[in-house]
Amino acid sequence: METNETDNMLKGFFGEQKQEIADNGFSKRVMRKLPEQADRSWIVWVFAIIGMLTTLFLGFYTGLFQNAQFVLPRIPVYYILAGVFCFPLVGTIGFYFTQNKHYRLI
Amino acid sequence: MSNTDDIRWVAQVALLGDKTAFDKLTCKYQSSIRRFFLNLTVGDAPLSDDLAQETFIKAYLNISTFKGISGFSTWLYRIAYNVFYDSARAQKHYDDIDEQVIDNQHHTLNEFSAEKMDIYKALKILRKEEQTAVLLFYMEDKTHKEIAKIMNCPLGTAKTYILKGKEKLSVYLTQAGYGNERN
Repeated sequence: METNETDNMLKGFFGEQKQEIADNGFSKRVMRKLPEQADRSWIVWVFAIIGMLTTLFLGFYTGLFQNAQFVLPRIPVYYILAGVFCFPLVGTIGFYFTQNKHYRLI
Repeated sequence: MSNTDDIRWVAQVALLGDKTAFDKLTCKYQSSIRRFFLNLTVGDAPLSDDLAQETFIKAYLNISTFKGISGFSTWLYRIAYNVFYDSARAQKHYDDIDEQVIDNQHHTLNEFSAEKMDIYKALKILRKEEQTAVLLFYMEDKTHKEIAKIMNCPLGTAKTYILKGKEKLSVYLTQAGYGNERN
């Protein structure tokens, strides 16, 4: 028998026998058996707090916060534009996570 | 559901320990992995479900080692292959299973028994490596390269397993009149 014929015959044979197996609670059983793993979300909070403290420290240390009313008008406009353009991006990501309950944001 | 979904879910599981994302992966691949085991165990449904469960648990525990070089499916089949051979080595009874016992299993445990007897009989004439390679190639639509990765063997060896399996099955099925029925 030719190789192609054999291939076709076997593809036909296995194709006929191929079945989709219904879940029937299998996934739930697997989920129940999964071991608990340590919650790693604290890493995000640690970095967030470090970031906030650094910002506050630098803001006060350099006098940026105290002199904001004088400094802000001198910031180049494209810096502000870049900051403004970040809002839709951050907003979209936030919306994506909050609307879709299957994806949790920590 | 694409491979991009797989990568996103894997990242969620690996980085955040998100079980919901792993549930999605389990739902997506449970059918193919359980079918793979069902065929390798020649129709032993409870055993194949146990092995499939072990496969998914191992995948969950080792998901951070998934590099994404091959697809998640290939990686999962590789775990499944190892789980099956570990189990076979531990029990060492697969080659000696009495045919009558298999018949009973088919009639009592597997609702697809009547249609599946042909494939189980056909698979029984192959060596375990040939069974695995043939099932992955003809039933699970894996490429030669993917099969080599799953079986952790050189590409040439994987091709040889498929070729030998194909030759044996061709003779068996022709003798059984399968080709003639179709023609």
